[in-house]
Amino acid sequence: MFLAKVKKRVVSTKKHDAYRGKRVFVIQPVNPDGTDAGSESVAVDYVGAGIGDTIVCGGAPGVAQEVFKLDHAPIHNLIIAIVDQICYRET
Amino acid sequence: MLLGKIIGKVWAEQKVDSLKACPMYMVQPVTSLGNQTGHPLVAADPRHIACPGDTVVVVTSTDAVQAFETADAPVNASIVVLVDRLE
Repeated sequence: MFLAKVKKRVVSTKKHDAYRGKRVFVIQPVNPDGTDAGSESVAVDYVGAGIGDTIVCGGAPGVAQEVFKLDHAPIHNLIIAIVDQICYRET
Repeated sequence: MLLGKIIGKVWAEQKVDSLKACPMYMVQPVTSLGNQTGHPLVAADPRHIACPGDTVVVVTSTDAVQAFETADAPVNASIVVLVDRLE
């Protein structure tokens, strides 16, 4: 799992059946202080995130099938939490 | 999962049976602004949703197998979404 910020929404009409009715976002992995950490990624929303939100992205293989009740779900990144606050100590 | 631009098609006469009816493309990962990032990869397109020049979402690792009806293809990158636009 990793922290990320929601950047843009992917608008699409032609897609795999498993993506029907789901919101897909471009996300930027971030450090706890908000700076960028690595390159952008794409994730499917499961909690109602919006653009600008800091989120937790995760999902093990097979989990998307389970949560969306699908036979086949080619989904690797799931947005599983919207972050309100992070408490951390610099190491 | 990543954003990518299709920069070419991979032709192969000899391939595993599960990929027989499935086109394969060269995909250059791009940022949401369209800039290139990282190295190109080969991705399968089991649902025939993309053409060269299109921007797509590619699912990588073990979940790529799930894009196939039978979920038995030996792939680790599949095209699953054709991007119309980002907003």
